[in-house]
Amino acid sequence: MTPSRRVPAARRIRCSRWLVGLTGVACLATVLVPKPATADDEIVLWHAYRGEEAAVLEQLVAEHERETGTEVELLRLPYDAFASKLAAAIPLGEGPDIFIDSHERLGDFRHRGLVAPVGDALGSIKNYPPKVLTAVTGPQGGFWGVPLSLKSVALYVRTDLLDPGEIPSTLEALVALQPTLPEGAYALAYEARGAYAHAAFLGAFGGTMLTPDEQFGFVGPAAERSLEFVQSMIASGAVPGDADGALVTNLFRSGKAATAISGPWLANDLGSEVPYTVVVLPNIAAADGPMRPFLTVEALMLSPTGRTKQHVRALARHLSGQAAAQLRQQRARTISARNDVEPPTNDPVLRAFADQASTAVVMPSARAMRSTWEPANRAIRRVLRGQMSPQVALESARKQFDDVRRPPPPPASPTPWLIALGATLLLGALALVRRARDPDTQAALRASLPAYRYLVHAVFAVSLLVLAPLLVGAATSLFVGRPDTGYFVGLANFYDILTARGGPLLATGSFYIVVLVTLLWTLLNLVLHLAIGVGLGLVLSRPAMRLRGLYRVLLILPWAVPSYVTALAWRGMFHRQFGAVTGLIHQLNAWFGTTLEPIDWFARFSTAFTANVATNVWLGFPFMMVVTLGALTAVPRDALEAAEVDGASRWQRLRFVTLPMIRPALVPAAMLGAIWTFNMFNVVFLVSGGEPDGTTDILVSEAYRWAFTREAQYGYAAAYAVLIFVLLAGLTRLTERVGKGAQL
Amino acid sequence: MVAVSVNNLHKQFGRTQVLKGVDLHVPDGAFAVLVGPSGCGKSTLLRLLSGLETATSGEIRFGDRPVTSLAPRDRDIAMVFQSYALYPHLTVYENLAFGLRLRKEPRSIIDQRVCEVAEMLGLTPLLKRRPKALSGGQRQRVAMGRAIVRRPQVFLFDEPLSNLDAALRAQVRVEIRRRHEAMRTTSVYVTHDQVEAMTLADVMFVLNAGCVEQSGTPAEVYRHPATRFVAGFLGSPSMNFLAAHLEKRSNDTWEVVVDTQNSPPIRIVLEDYPTANLRDGLAIELGVRPHDMTLAPDPEIADLRLTAGLCELLGPEIQVHTQVAEQPFTLCLEAELNTRRGELLAVDIDHLHLFDAATGASLR
Amino acid sequence: MTESNARSSSALESILAHAVILLAVGFALYPILWVVSLALSGTSDPSPQVLPLPQEPTLSNLREVAWTSQTVDGAEVWLFGHQLLNSVVVSLATAMVGIAIATPAAYALARFEFVGKSAGLRTLLATQMFPAVASAIPLYILLDALGLLNSRTGLILCYATTTVPFCIFQLRGAFETIPVDLEEAAMVDGATRFGAFVRVVLPAARPAIAVTGLFAFMHAYNEFILAATLLSREDMFTLPVVLQRFIGEYNAQWELFAAGSLIVSIPVMALFYVVQRHLVAGLTAGGVKG
Repeated sequence: MTPSRRVPAARRIRCSRWLVGLTGVACLATVLVPKPATADDEIVLWHAYRGEEAAVLEQLVAEHERETGTEVELLRLPYDAFASKLAAAIPLGEGPDIFIDSHERLGDFRHRGLVAPVGDALGSIKNYPPKVLTAVTGPQGGFWGVPLSLKSVALYVRTDLLDPGEIPSTLEALVALQPTLPEGAYALAYEARGAYAHAAFLGAFGGTMLTPDEQFGFVGPAAERSLEFVQSMIASGAVPGDADGALVTNLFRSGKAATAISGPWLANDLGSEVPYTVVVLPNIAAADGPMRPFLTVEALMLSPTGRTKQHVRALARHLSGQAAAQLRQQRARTISARNDVEPPTNDPVLRAFADQASTAVVMPSARAMRSTWEPANRAIRRVLRGQMSPQVALESARKQFDDVRRPPPPPASPTPWLIALGATLLLGALALVRRARDPDTQAALRASLPAYRYLVHAVFAVSLLVLAPLLVGAATSLFVGRPDTGYFVGLANFYDILTARGGPLLATGSFYIVVLVTLLWTLLNLVLHLAIGVGLGLVLSRPAMRLRGLYRVLLILPWAVPSYVTALAWRGMFHRQFGAVTGLIHQLNAWFGTTLEPIDWFARFSTAFTANVATNVWLGFPFMMVVTLGALTAVPRDALEAAEVDGASRWQRLRFVTLPMIRPALVPAAMLGAIWTFNMFNVVFLVSGGEPDGTTDILVSEAYRWAFTREAQYGYAAAYAVLIFVLLAGLTRLTERVGKGAQL
Repeated sequence: MVAVSVNNLHKQFGRTQVLKGVDLHVPDGAFAVLVGPSGCGKSTLLRLLSGLETATSGEIRFGDRPVTSLAPRDRDIAMVFQSYALYPHLTVYENLAFGLRLRKEPRSIIDQRVCEVAEMLGLTPLLKRRPKALSGGQRQRVAMGRAIVRRPQVFLFDEPLSNLDAALRAQVRVEIRRRHEAMRTTSVYVTHDQVEAMTLADVMFVLNAGCVEQSGTPAEVYRHPATRFVAGFLGSPSMNFLAAHLEKRSNDTWEVVVDTQNSPPIRIVLEDYPTANLRDGLAIELGVRPHDMTLAPDPEIADLRLTAGLCELLGPEIQVHTQVAEQPFTLCLEAELNTRRGELLAVDIDHLHLFDAATGASLR
Repeated sequence: MTESNARSSSALESILAHAVILLAVGFALYPILWVVSLALSGTSDPSPQVLPLPQEPTLSNLREVAWTSQTVDGAEVWLFGHQLLNSVVVSLATAMVGIAIATPAAYALARFEFVGKSAGLRTLLATQMFPAVASAIPLYILLDALGLLNSRTGLILCYATTTVPFCIFQLRGAFETIPVDLEEAAMVDGATRFGAFVRVVLPAARPAIAVTGLFAFMHAYNEFILAATLLSREDMFTLPVVLQRFIGEYNAQWELFAAGSLIVSIPVMALFYVVQRHLVAGLTAGGVKG
């Protein structure tokens, strides 16, 4: 907060802006109220820290402001939006001067021009261990981040279940303790299906996720052995096979896991009541070596504008200094990246993480690293589900990696395109001129004038803020690379997609198969949304329905609660081991003596797809219900009565009177609902996440993966978007043809 | 109050000609009724008068004022819609006051006039209700009141009674006529109901296929229909038509000859009929209103001899359905005659109409 | 059918209707009760439970989410309240601006014939077909050029314009069900076409406008990516952005997220409760019968 903004008068202005917003009349007027100008020397710092880490940062920044008189504006952002906001803001000079992120993103940020070398912000390199410095070193040398703290996983141990003095030194021995533990408890819990946690096992067997020459490393004997090892651990029943982060936390916290592999963040969730300690990850006897987890270095990074400012670098030095590091260690309990800050001897947890950091492997910061996760995760899941041998799964993962990292298409000459574009524009203009000369058209245009007066602002607003960005976005499908250095490739992106990049056309994940899945997904959802929504709307509008108001409000709840959390509640309900559905199956078994097996919902396409559809139907039916309720208000009662007098049965009245009358309102809602469902990536992402093996992914989730998890290939993602558009446009045309009355 | 005149009015929707050169003149203070079968263009004409549609060509004047291209609100008219078109979100009071409020009349005047009209129409106890809570007849009265309260130069009525039941319709019809006699506001009333047309009109315009077929007082139009169409349209039961031709007997005697298949032709000697337009051998249609016949005193020299078919007693009269020259034929006789099916009747035609079979124009 | 028969069958029907609705309510509520349970739990012992009962019930999660404050001007400001107000105001303004832009356009599309009508409708529909994946950055650049970055106005305009196509379709359907006579009566009574639209058509379309407004509100109310991207000041953030911050890189504070989500949904429920009272039949009655 700057002092200028603390003046009450300024707040009154803000209040008045509120009122303006509330009336909604002169929304544009708020533009005229000047934005509080950012002082030239004010430093903007963005971060995604939470809890104590954020609090310490605030304290340190406040100290620096007091000492130097510079002003710092701190902005805490959601992690999910952090990178994309940086990518949008920094090229326009609207971004921060300085921001905090993991070093592993540096390659990507460098590629997109979001970071600059830190120069004298780093202080003395003597204060950092070489390993930490390599993490922030660019491929051509130079330091691109100021290291703050280190993060890696280590082994959490419940001291009430295992004597801290007798923690086995090998993982095999730890797992063997399973029989000695209380009923229902695991010896070890960790995110077995995630490549991040698995990297520690891979490291023990001498493998890496990414080779130094940026090839897929999670392949070959070491990788296979690491997977076989995990497989055997899970088979022994000592390790849960399908724990996600939240479940690991819950298992460990409730004493259902004697140990857990997790990072410092778990400590925050445990509180003071759980008796635990942390030790360095054990050795794996089969690998004859220690487990070597990934080390990430959280670092201060400077934007290209920020690096030029003396006082920004000074702030970086302050935040990364010894005193700051000590404070962070003390309050936020993070491991300092500096070698002159020792963890306190009386704190075994911090010590263990610090020791672990020294044996951990620095996660590569190359851009290619970001492309390893998806294939690696998929391979691990395939193996753990028993679908494939490690060798086959890993080989297919390597293919996927190579596919994503395929060389970009060669530049195409834009000349023919420009000529074609020019010719089209010219012909279009000529046609327009000719039509404008036609007296019939002129008369029609004159007759249209009154209508245009009602339309002009909508046309303006939609063209400017909806259509223009869409067209620009669509145009990026003809390019490759980042906006400033990218180049024109013509239709190469489309060609790649439609030919499955040279792979088999009908393999899982190819465009055509995904289209089929998407169509099935849309159709099922639409039918169920309509059936449930319209049905409930009809029942709720019965004239003598009691408690109608209450029912209505309860029934729109799925729509009212943010879908992010409810989608995850659904995912939780489908958990094979601890989900409510499994609970129900147990309950049924107990009542009826049946022997139903819990279902592994996300192991098969059919069940995973069902889970997605169930969630989306749940999320979407209130919309159709409300539309129906609104539409039903326009159905006059006498039409129904007339039909009743004419001897129409209840069903006939519904079929021939009510439905045709609410149809004008339902058709556009159903059409838009179908289009939205077609592009509903949220549910797919959050519930099945594409599992198994990306088979439940729909077209738009592919587009998002290309844009956000596969090295930001925006052109490629845009090509997907254009193809989605073409498909949808064709489909709506088709429905209009087939169902004659279905026009908008 | 003004006269309404329309000159050579055309209206086209796309390629469809709806009005094909309509002329009409409604004198100041008169009650004009536009009548015709559905699709004849009468409602379109009314909408052109109201300004809700614009004419393709032609001119409309209210008094001296050309209003052809004026918006409805600038024409100083009020209109009663067939559906009443009451504003569902406003109370009866607000519905009545709507037009006055739009014209920014002072509140006191609005209040006074609304109350006056409400009193006149018996709406006072309903003023706070919404249209939803009114019966059909009450809604109709509100719709009327909404027009009256404005005190416009011209009233337009678009079949305002068609949604009322028969008893109410007759009652409201009388009320409309009585009110018009009190106020003398120039009115144009569209209906397809000839009883309404006959009873309400000072001047009546019969429309057919986008043209005015005939205008005049109801009595004139009824008595002397200018065309076969008008003759058939007005009157209940409608006029009987028989295909016939003219034969000239001597200098001053003309005969109407109706050919029949199985019996000798029926010959009727014309009396008191202007002969100017008559031609020997001309194919004509003979029109006889069912009420224009009486039993012949001497059956031997009766105009028509026929056998009664179905007989319907309608209180004061009996409607007898029969056939003449193999064509259906209706006549109305006094109830006292007690005519029965199968009875042989000899009737004289008191009044007949002749139309050119080719053009449908009256030969009078 | 005798009278008693009719009565008993309608009683049966009523029971059936309630049964159907209760089933649906159960379906709607069950996952939400899990969220409630998560929000109220002090701990979570993983076990396959059927009933979503909170473990060691506590209000501490709710308190932790809602009791945030910021020091402004030496005084504590209730930050969460401020952000909640942000959300509500942004969403309300979105609904109002969206409806204000959409209603005249929808009216024109419902009542007038004009050159470009079907092309316009197709374009509107087309905007909904295009996934936003590639247009976020162009939009950002555009708003920067308009000077609308980091302002609620910009956010509101973005939300409102993206809801406009849907609002237009929805309202056009509603306007088409309103008898043309009403506007004509108003025009004869002395209103202009626009006056008839404002004074007669809009009030008669109130239920549809309320429902459409609710959609626009919801669209803005749960959105966080755009809000997080366009806004760069803590005191401007809307609640979804604030809640999303409980999701970290390595782990998430689900119990806090759940608690926040529950609080967030309360204004929506209140709003819907208000809106649904407009969902009564017969508002278009004013004609011959109804």
